[in-house]
Amino acid sequence: MAIDWTARDRPVAIAPLVTFRITFGLLMFLSLLRFWARGWITDLYVNPSFHFTYWGFEWVQPLGDTGMHLLFFALMAASLLIALGLFYRVAIVFFFLGFTYVELIDVTTYLNHYYFISLVAFLLIWLPANRHFALDARLGLVQRRLETPAWTIGILRLQLGLVYVFAGLAKLNADWLLRAEPMKTWLPAKSHLPLVGQFMYDDWVAYLFSWFGAGYDLFIVFFLLNRRTRSIAYGFVLVFHLATALFFPAIGVFPYVMIVSSLIFFSGEFHDRLLSFLPAKKEPTIGTEPYRFAHRKLTAVLTVAYFALQLLIPLRYSLYPGNLFWTEEGYRFSWRVMLMEKAGAAYFTVKDQAGQKSYAVNNTEYLTLLQEKMMSTQPDLILKYAHYLAEVFKNKGIAEPKVFAEVYVTLNGEPSRLYLDSTVDLAAEKLRWNHYDWILPYEQSTP
Amino acid sequence: MKFSRISLFCCLIAGSFQFGCTKNNGSTDPIATSNDTFKTGMLTNYADNLIIPAYGDLNAKLNTLETPLNAFLDQPTTTSLEAVKPAFKAAYVSYEATSVAYFGPAAALLSNNYLNTFPAVPGKIEKAISSGNYNFELPVVNDSIQGFPALEYLLFAPNSLEKFTGANASARKKYVRDVLSRIRLLTNNTLSQWNGAYRTTFVNSLKTDVGSSIAFLVNQFAYEMDALKGPRIGWPFGKLSNGQVFADKSEGYYSGLTRELAVANLTSLKNYFVGAKGDGIADYLVMLKKDALAQQVIAQFDVAIGAINAIPQPMTDSFSKNPAQVEEAYRQVQKLLTLIKTDVASATSVQITYQDNDGD
Repeated sequence: MAIDWTARDRPVAIAPLVTFRITFGLLMFLSLLRFWARGWITDLYVNPSFHFTYWGFEWVQPLGDTGMHLLFFALMAASLLIALGLFYRVAIVFFFLGFTYVELIDVTTYLNHYYFISLVAFLLIWLPANRHFALDARLGLVQRRLETPAWTIGILRLQLGLVYVFAGLAKLNADWLLRAEPMKTWLPAKSHLPLVGQFMYDDWVAYLFSWFGAGYDLFIVFFLLNRRTRSIAYGFVLVFHLATALFFPAIGVFPYVMIVSSLIFFSGEFHDRLLSFLPAKKEPTIGTEPYRFAHRKLTAVLTVAYFALQLLIPLRYSLYPGNLFWTEEGYRFSWRVMLMEKAGAAYFTVKDQAGQKSYAVNNTEYLTLLQEKMMSTQPDLILKYAHYLAEVFKNKGIAEPKVFAEVYVTLNGEPSRLYLDSTVDLAAEKLRWNHYDWILPYEQSTP
Repeated sequence: MKFSRISLFCCLIAGSFQFGCTKNNGSTDPIATSNDTFKTGMLTNYADNLIIPAYGDLNAKLNTLETPLNAFLDQPTTTSLEAVKPAFKAAYVSYEATSVAYFGPAAALLSNNYLNTFPAVPGKIEKAISSGNYNFELPVVNDSIQGFPALEYLLFAPNSLEKFTGANASARKKYVRDVLSRIRLLTNNTLSQWNGAYRTTFVNSLKTDVGSSIAFLVNQFAYEMDALKGPRIGWPFGKLSNGQVFADKSEGYYSGLTRELAVANLTSLKNYFVGAKGDGIADYLVMLKKDALAQQVIAQFDVAIGAINAIPQPMTDSFSKNPAQVEEAYRQVQKLLTLIKTDVASATSVQITYQDNDGD
């Protein structure tokens, strides 16, 4: 796709990489600042008494009030260092580890663009993005380079391309294309918008949004790759993502991440001119050797392995039986963004071994609103919570508690119905990779 | 040209980040002006025909309560106490119709917490009376020594009458008067804000994010039903405690109003859902082509109200004596809660949290 294998080491202008580094650093700084200003560090990582950890990452726990705020402060400092290109390698490694750590604390805070940020930060660790328009180069901490192997820019384009194409493929389903759900549900809530608000109850608008969105995601990257269509395509990027930000403000910084990242498709010449607008002292523009990697074969093998994983992870859902949106087995880490409207209500009951004693659970005693909302529609989180409840009641003196869940879920406007087998003792069910057979099959009543 | 493009998106990024907490901060967004006449009409109906009249009614009922209450405090007898009861009941039942409007002014004043945190804690109340040292404006810790539950305990707990003639009677009378004036103050305050600027704010908030009027309504429906399922019925019934009943923790325990209050609460919720005589969330669902759902919810309201009414009186005794009927009411309320929390919340696409969200 974006990597031309015969020419992957061909030296090209390093400027696109430099712009990417600067904008990434600045955007991360603003994004973290916004997160802090809204009080979310406290709401998400300090207040909850229980966290939905990732399987295998149970050891990732928050650092307490002061610790979490210090970590965010350090991440913001690292973001600025990345933008400035000062102590770049240390800053980007710290940013990757710190940011990923925060994201691993609680599954209910998972957002696709946070995953994207972690992946991009990981890739940036290995790229020579601090070799030009960077304080590292200016101070002589690293040797200035004006050119870099073509693949260093290609992998960022490929990563972005995968996000778009997988997001587009995910939209190729009957609900999205034929019923225009969830757009048909979401758009009437936007009737307050000036000018366009009046059309939000019309079905054709929902179909327009659905089909345009799917087409955009599927094909935009190819128009961005093509020199002749690039400028127009970027215009579409701006319009599409700003519209997303306007219609769905709850999506947060995602539109801005995509708007800024998509600049990577522009030529070195474009980026050189762009960088010349920076209020920096004149940077040398000639006379250095291109940047070279020391272990070219190893680098190539690792890069291929990385992208093989990136291709396979979003496809893993096909190994599971049942409706993906219903079971959500293989749903995360797959660029499924704004794809379905799902809501649930989960009622838990804890019983003793003999079934003599029975305790209803008040979820708000253990979970925040966000955690409860996310848990109620995702089987692995329901299971994690059931295991936690078993622990809680064990500590209350019930020897081997059984945990039962009566969960109702509505998906894309379908009437809510029982989600799990409510007679299964979830405390006895293990977290696992293969299908959870206690999820009841999905049935659709509307055509 | 290229420079302007860059500066354009820099401005957009900076401008669109919207710093600051938007929690409980409806309709301050200047962009939220439009001509969705249905939503404006529906919210106007909620303000003018449901919420403001509900607070007005509570205010009037509290006024009416004052006369027999003062008469009782002047001359505490069985007869004068009996005379307080109907007025107290009318006021408490009237309160249930304001309970759902716990957003905007009421939420800012924490009025539901102050007016109806039950059970009242007799130990703390007695201590407050004997020391003469109490601050009703202290949230959380002093929620349970004031409001209707405290008033109810003071007036209708066993042997309450003799305490109004005993040694500490004058301090007790003063406390009762203080509790009532606190209830009146909070109600008045809320009502005057609704009669003032907040009505405009409420009617013009047409979004569905957290802090918007529609989200307030739908989320409060769910919240109230959760309270019905939990503190009003399920918890005293022993749902959290392996069937161990805590009748004295129910709402309206001392006045024997537990069932009346539960029914009043749910009936008022149904009234809010259908929008009384104007457009309500039910009509909004029809507008969204969810007619069947609207009908299903209305029918379930009736089933749940019927199930609560089927619990033999006094309901607090039925927690132990007639568990099957209580269990049935509990199930029916849970069914209703499920419909509101999943189908209705989904169809109206209201947000329940203010964190970022990329559509599950």
